[in-house]
Amino acid sequence: MDTLEICYMSAGDLSKLVQNKEVSPVEIIDAHLTRIEATEPVLNSFITLLADESRAAARQAEKDIQAGRYRGPLHGIPVGLKDLYNTGGVRTTSGSKIFDTFIPAEDCTVAAKFQEAGAILLGKLNMHQFAYGPTGENPDYGHMHNPWDPDRVTGGSSGGSGSAAAAGQCTITTGSDTGGSIRIPAALCGIVGLKPTYGLVSRWGLTALSWSLDHPGPMVRTVEDAAITMNVIAGYDPKDVASAKVDIPDYTTALTGDVRGLRIGMPKEYFEAPLDPQVRKAVLDAVSLLESMGAVVSEVSFPMFNQSQAISSTILMAEASAYHRDLLEKDGHQLYEPVRQRLEAGLFISAADYLRAQQARALLDQEGRRLLDDVDLLAGPTEPVTAPEIMASRVMAGEQEIGVVGALTQYTRPYNINGFPAISVPCGFSDTGMPIGLQLAGKPFDELTVLRAAHAYEQATDWHTRRPPL
Amino acid sequence: MAAAQTVRPTGDDDMASEKQLSREEFDHLAKLLGVDGEPAYLDELYSQTRGVFINANILREIDVSGAEPDMVFMPPAN
Repeated sequence: MDTLEICYMSAGDLSKLVQNKEVSPVEIIDAHLTRIEATEPVLNSFITLLADESRAAARQAEKDIQAGRYRGPLHGIPVGLKDLYNTGGVRTTSGSKIFDTFIPAEDCTVAAKFQEAGAILLGKLNMHQFAYGPTGENPDYGHMHNPWDPDRVTGGSSGGSGSAAAAGQCTITTGSDTGGSIRIPAALCGIVGLKPTYGLVSRWGLTALSWSLDHPGPMVRTVEDAAITMNVIAGYDPKDVASAKVDIPDYTTALTGDVRGLRIGMPKEYFEAPLDPQVRKAVLDAVSLLESMGAVVSEVSFPMFNQSQAISSTILMAEASAYHRDLLEKDGHQLYEPVRQRLEAGLFISAADYLRAQQARALLDQEGRRLLDDVDLLAGPTEPVTAPEIMASRVMAGEQEIGVVGALTQYTRPYNINGFPAISVPCGFSDTGMPIGLQLAGKPFDELTVLRAAHAYEQATDWHTRRPPL
Repeated sequence: MAAAQTVRPTGDDDMASEKQLSREEFDHLAKLLGVDGEPAYLDELYSQTRGVFINANILREIDVSGAEPDMVFMPPAN
């Protein structure tokens, strides 16, 4: 089989070939290492590449499968983890040279679950330093580059995960999402990114940015692969104080292709905010397609969307500054300057204002729940713009010039505040060939409905089959 | 859908364009917090910090009476 074809196959398709012994894990890993060698000089997706280790793991997986010890759909499938997921015996930098030699003693819960499922760790993926930024800048390990146009950002903070999945360097990658850090690079790189409900996937062993806003989740090329990954990584973890004790369904049962009767709300406030006309059209076309497939679409109002940036920023900045305060005092001079500034600016937030933001968060949560009494999903753009140029500080969204940080987190932050599940799925390309994402958000722990709609849309379009020109 | 019309803050750097905290107040608070740096660094930090205060003003305009902050936030299953 052509090695590039292997690199662009989904985990769902690859796993069938692996199980039937038509392709071996060794072939899969070799194909990906070849792809990485060819594309990494442009993309810079990896901080640590585990070539020898992954080849050894692939040989072991091949032996196990040949001996009848097949572990399931991720057995022999290459995975890349954002470099803030602790991996036992493998350095974990959080995107900073301060931790260049930090080697955790044990795996985080998600890494352990991947290992148990037989997935093969290809490497640790580049990221915005300490996950504190939405663009994918990293002066310590080099900036990340968008596979669709290397002069443009991947989005962040899980930028290496976005570029690695989009360019066929990894079959499955993971991100962490505090203000949009899974969905932003997913949208800008043209892949699928799922931010699960808060508490559904364990945060244990991940470097925190903001305890109450951090969500680990999958970044992949198909909705089916998001479901397959969730089957492995979701579930209660007593090591995580925020882990939820809920029943875990088989997420692949959502992949029916049927959206008949599904009620989709379009918050009007999303379309009153700064928004590129091409993004607007792609998103409206996507929702119209879902409507033509039997979904019931209506306009709804989400007024607190307009306060979501203030609520999210206040909580995030206060919690990030608290978490990193010792580091700031000891090694602040080694931090990327914009990251250091965000951390130090958070020190100026009073306890009373932090708590007021938490009060406002409760109100936003109530508003979101009321909205989802009447509809099953909220739909809108993931991003108001396509990927900006690397190091740009401002971007045009329609006729309005706005700050890049605010723009990229405009639509994603509300679902970090209320913890609702939200997915970004490719829904088109701009005239310049840059990907556009559709965001669908659902009720807490109703990932099945989110995946169902995203999958039905994906299967009715061919956006996810396009490949970047690399 | 309605055309773009809402004027609202769209990020820390945008928020910083509106003056909410004098430089003297910032310098005083920075000293109390142990924050220091080169003048250019502090200029940029001042800009970021004004965004913090603008956010605080937006929060103060929200009627939060009766809303209790959830200190260990977890969405219930239903």
